[in-house]
This record gives sequence, C-alpha cells and structure tokens, in this order.
Amino acid sequence: MAEKEIVKNEDLNKPAEAPLPGSSTPAELRAYYSPLRYAWGALLAFFGISSKTHRASKKRAKLVQDIATYLVLLFGSFLMVYPFWWMIAGSFAATAASNEFIYDLVWWPSHDVLHSTNAQGEVYGLFYNYHYFLVDAFDSLINQGTINVTFWRALINNLIYSIVPVVIGVITSASAAFSFAKIQWIGRNVVFMFLLAAIMVPGPSIMITQFVMYSELKWQENGLVLIIPGMFGSIMTAFFIRQFLFGLPTSIIEAAKIDGAGYFRIFCQFILPLAMPALMAQGLLSFMGCWNNYMGSYIMIPKDSPAINLPHALYMLTVSGSTALQDNLGPQIAASVLCVLPVIILFACFQKLIIGSLMLTGSKE
Amino acid sequence: MEDIIHNSNESAAEPEQSEVSAKPAEAVQPVKKKHTVNQQKLQDNLWGWIFCLPLIIGTVWFVYYAFILALMLSFTAYDTSAGSLMDAITNFKFHPEGAFYWYKELFTYVSGTSNKHEIVDLPNGGTLDLRMNEMGRYLFNTVFYMIGIPIGMVLAVFFAVCMSRDIKGGNLFRVLYYIPCVASSIAIVYTFKIMFRSNGVMNSILGLTTFKYPATGGYGGKTGFIWISEDTNVGASWNDVFGVDKVNAFMYDPFWCQGLLSKAVIIIMSVWKGLGGTIILYVAGLSGVNAATKEAAQIDGANGWQIFWKVTMPDLYPVIFYNIVTSVIGGLQIYAEPELLLSNSSSSSGFPTVSGYVALIYRYGINQGYYSKGAAYGMFLAVIIFVLTLFQFWLDSRRSD
Repeated sequence: MAEKEIVKNEDLNKPAEAPLPGSSTPAELRAYYSPLRYAWGALLAFFGISSKTHRASKKRAKLVQDIATYLVLLFGSFLMVYPFWWMIAGSFAATAASNEFIYDLVWWPSHDVLHSTNAQGEVYGLFYNYHYFLVDAFDSLINQGTINVTFWRALINNLIYSIVPVVIGVITSASAAFSFAKIQWIGRNVVFMFLLAAIMVPGPSIMITQFVMYSELKWQENGLVLIIPGMFGSIMTAFFIRQFLFGLPTSIIEAAKIDGAGYFRIFCQFILPLAMPALMAQGLLSFMGCWNNYMGSYIMIPKDSPAINLPHALYMLTVSGSTALQDNLGPQIAASVLCVLPVIILFACFQKLIIGSLMLTGSKE
Repeated sequence: MEDIIHNSNESAAEPEQSEVSAKPAEAVQPVKKKHTVNQQKLQDNLWGWIFCLPLIIGTVWFVYYAFILALMLSFTAYDTSAGSLMDAITNFKFHPEGAFYWYKELFTYVSGTSNKHEIVDLPNGGTLDLRMNEMGRYLFNTVFYMIGIPIGMVLAVFFAVCMSRDIKGGNLFRVLYYIPCVASSIAIVYTFKIMFRSNGVMNSILGLTTFKYPATGGYGGKTGFIWISEDTNVGASWNDVFGVDKVNAFMYDPFWCQGLLSKAVIIIMSVWKGLGGTIILYVAGLSGVNAATKEAAQIDGANGWQIFWKVTMPDLYPVIFYNIVTSVIGGLQIYAEPELLLSNSSSSSGFPTVSGYVALIYRYGINQGYYSKGAAYGMFLAVIIFVLTLFQFWLDSRRSD
C-alpha cells in the first residue's frame, strides 16, 4: 500500500510537458504557444479560469464564481417567487369576460386595466376582484344553496381549525416527548416503537373508516373532525421535540425532583419554556399545514355545512357554475391570494425559526 | 425560574444534613434509600404513562383502530345502506361472493361490461383503449408523476451546492425557495391552471398563443396551445402539431399521450412546489461535509468537478436516498393536484387519464359509499407503502450508524 502511494505522489509531482505559467516568463510562454491560444488563455484568466498559458488569481476565480452563483440563485428565486407576484399583480387587474391581462407577463397592474369599465359602464376599482370574491361570489352561491358560509365565517373556521388543535396538539406532543426523553418507565421503548410504527399507515388507506367513524360520532357537520383528532398530538411532532429534549441537561430535572417538584410542575415550569423554540417551530409548521388543509375539509365536511374551511370554500366557488368564479379569473386569483398571503407573512416573520428547525430535524415539512 | 433553581439547590442540601446529624447513618440509610427508590419508580411509571396518554389514545383511536377496522371491512360487504360500524364488527360477515371479492375486483374491474381493458369515450365520438384495467391505469398515472422526483433531486442538489458556497445572503435564498412549500396547494393549482391556459402566460412566453389547431383534428381549429384537458384525444393532437400522418409510434400511442400535457403541468408544479424543502434537506446534509477534506483535495490538485463527485456527493448520498424514498411514499398518495387541476364541476371524481390512485379510494369509498370497496383499495396502497417505509427505516438505521 505504502509503495503504491509513493508512486502515486511521484506521478502527481511529475513536471508537466508544457512550461508551467508560474515558472516561465511571459515571453517564453508567448513563444511556446500560438498567439490565439495565448489570447484565449488571457480571456479565460479574466473570467477566473486557469489554463496552461495564464494562471488566474484565486481572488478573481472566487469573484467570478460568486457572481455566477448569485446569477443562478437569483434566476432560481425569480422562478420561485414570480408566480406569487403574478398572483398579487393579477388580483388587482380588472377582468372582463375576455380576461385580457392573462395574455402576458404581468409586472404591475397596468393603468389601462385599473381604469377599464365593465359592461354596465362602472369603473373597476383597485379592489374590484377582492370585492367580487368576498361578496358577490359568496352571495350568489349562498342564494343558490350550494354553500352556507360567508367568507368571514370560512376565515374564522380556518383560524379555529389551525389554532385550537395546533396549540393543544403541540402541548400534548411535548408532554409525550418529555415522557419519552426524560422519564424512565417500564415499557417506554416498546410504546415508543408502537407509536412510531403508526407513521407507516398511510392516510388515504384509513380515510374510509375515519370517515365512517367521524360521521357516526357526528363530528362532520360541525367541523369537530378538524379539531378533536389534532388535539391528541402527532407522533412526528413528538418525535422531533423528543430529539430536542435529549439536548437538554437532565441535571435540571434531577435538581427540581430533589426539591420535591412533581413531574407536572417540572413539565410546566422547566420543559415548556426551555423547549419553546422547538415547540414554536413545530407549531408553526403544523399551523401552516392546517391552514392549507383542503383535503381534510373536502373529504370529511359536507359542502353545504357552515363548517367548511377557506380552501374548501374557494374550491366550491370555482367549481359551482358560471355564476361564481369559474369563468372569472380575476376574482379567482384574488381568492388564491387571500388563501396564500397569511401563511407567507407568517413564514416571513418566523423564517429563521422554521428553516432552522427544518435544518436540524432534516425533515421536509 | 432563577428563583426556583436557587431554592431547589438550597432545599436539596438541607434534608440530608438534618438526617445525618439526627440519626446514626448506617442503621437508617438502607431502608430509607429503598423506600425513596420505590417511591421514585412509582412516580416515574405513573407520570410517564400519564404524559404519554393523550398521544397513545389519539394514535390508537384514529390510526390503529381505523386501520384494523379498514382491514376487517375490506373483507365484508359494508356500505352506506348497512347498519352502524359497531354492528358491522359484532355481526362480522364475509362478503357473500368470497372474502377477497373486493381485492379480485381491484385487479380486474373495468368500467363498461364486456371489455377486458378500460375504455374511455372521447368527446369527438371515438373511444380510447387504455390497455389496463381501471386500477392499473390510475396506478400508472401515480407512478408517472414520479418522473418529477429525479428532476427535483438534480435541481435541488444543484441549488443546494450553490447555496452552501461561502456567499452572503445564502439564508435569504433558502427562505425564498421555501415559499412555495408553505403556500396552499389549492391556490397554487389555480394559479398554474390560469398560467397554463391556452391564452395564458406560459403560452405567451413560448409564443404559442397564436397556435392554431387544424379544423379536422381533435381540437377542431381552436387557437392557442392546450395544456390542460382531460377529455380530448391528445394523441391526435400530436399529429396536428407536427403535421405528419405517422408520427413516431410512441408519440402517437394514446396510452402514453392521453393527458400527457396535463401530467406535464402537474409534474412541473410539484417539482416547483417541493424544491425548497428538498434544498433545505440537502443544505443540511452538505453542512456536514468536512471542509478540511475539501481543502486537502484542493491542495492535492483536484478540480471542482472531482471534489463535487468524490468529496461532496458521498456525504450527500444517504440524504438523497432518504429523500427519494420519502418522496415515493408521498407521491403514491397524490390526490388533490390532478383533481383540482381538471375539475370543472363539483360532481367530478376521478379522471382516468390523470388522476392518482387515491382518487379511486375517494370515489368508491366516500363518493359512492361502498365503504368495503374503498377500504380494500386502501389496503392495497397500505401494503405498497409498508414495504417502502420498512425500506426507509432500514436506510435510517444505516444512516445513523
């Protein structure tokens, strides 16, 4: 082995056939290479690439690579963010039946569009689409009897569905995580594996029985289906908080125990405050998941119930006949903006916490 | 909180001292110690269970109980007309035509009577042979969407490597790329649906808004390139687009072409939406790559390409494999995107050319109320996902070693 390595090193140290740029003068190099090759080398060196004729400085190489990286990343982030900007700009653009603004890339709601008029000669205001979505579209569907919520009711439903189960669920998950990470009890590992195995059960395969169970419990019409199951906590959340709690020193808990503090008090006064970053991150992620929970509402809650959430209401508005949003793309985009904006603002506020947690846990969502 | 810690330190020291001073140590200590240990063990066991109880109840009730019920129901003939769930369990009866009736149906069912394959009616009067039974076709669609997984993986590695370079503002890019992940899928589907309209932004960029189909073809002389349409013979439209009678047999084959462009839109959308999450996963993986190894390789004269393949990638392989397995598991459960992209009426439930497998579970189990049939269809999905998850656990255990 050792001999082989030595041979390898000798190979590496063998002098190159052409004169190296470092060891030869520019005159020698110019004589050795054709002028075209020499110029090409100079050009490459300007862009930070070393060749046989010119050696680019490390600083230049890094500068060029940095600029290239920025360009690539900026182009990528344009692709990532532009659809959202397109939504926002488009939501302020008035749409007649012809939907003209759709024809092109939208950078800004144009002057023409803002001041165009509809068939009755009324001028479209800036918030025409929002008004149409919030009031007219809902009214027409409520009058048809297709749905039974106003926009505000759907919004409040959505807030309840994404705050109540998330707050309680994160606390119950944290208590389970505390028990798994810091308390020694008989059967702990068996129970943990038993709960972890539940991840293997895919949601769609138990969708049917859950549907029947919830309908027999009468949780569907009143929306309890989106509140109660979430309050029992989630095994994934518990798993990640458990990982976080492993990092906390056990000595604090021991000290509190000697003091005579019960586990309940330790949990409330030590674990919850100390694990707050992890709880917040997990809670925010589940909040966003619940806010966007179109499937849960669509499958479990009847469409004419007053308990449907916002994405479900948006779906009903776009599929239920031409009186609503189906052929009216502007209000449809305005509705999408109202669905998307709250989570994006929330994410922007807490991005450091959320991204940090995702990096730590190595999970995607 | 400081107060509590302070107090606990003080009071922790106190009782020991008083005991030692009051009684001879060797006589009392063993008994006392045993007692406290037992007390402590009791406390541990009691509170350990109490803290876990909500999660255990929730998991057993909403996952395990539901799963066992689904398994039982899949062998019965339970539907909306039958009694309550409790009745079905206590008076458990197999399906009159055999316990595995629904499973047999799963592998043989075709809509229509005397056909061996699923045959779809087309709006221009023709029919289309899909060459599989119904389940096969829906499963084919599901697997087809997984083309997006390797595409997303390559893009994510590329951007993750760019972001983990030592540049300013790397965090900002991470945040920007993650935005689609937090956005509601229904809003994103509607945005893409509008962007990919025949007069939409996408065609405007590609210069296809003025594209005109021939009057004789499937699209009957419409203007603007059509991406999203569940019911028109896309196989014929290839012919229209390229203006030749015999295009490549593969290109003309309706089995592949039906709904191909709609599927492409969904793949583009899911790659776009999932990219940020995958990038974060890979950036986290890359942060573990040893900088010293990289530098050593650089000094040894390795170029950037060699460093990437020999130093960076080997550290990233476990993360990539893990991500692929979880993406496949997630991809098998695709449901909402194809349905939302194509749905124009609230009665729609499943499009044979684009819908994922879960659409069948929804259609039979919930929309039509054949609970047993839906449960059997769900069990088949569960078996596939069990195998994949066990594979993932095995990978996880290898990664942590």
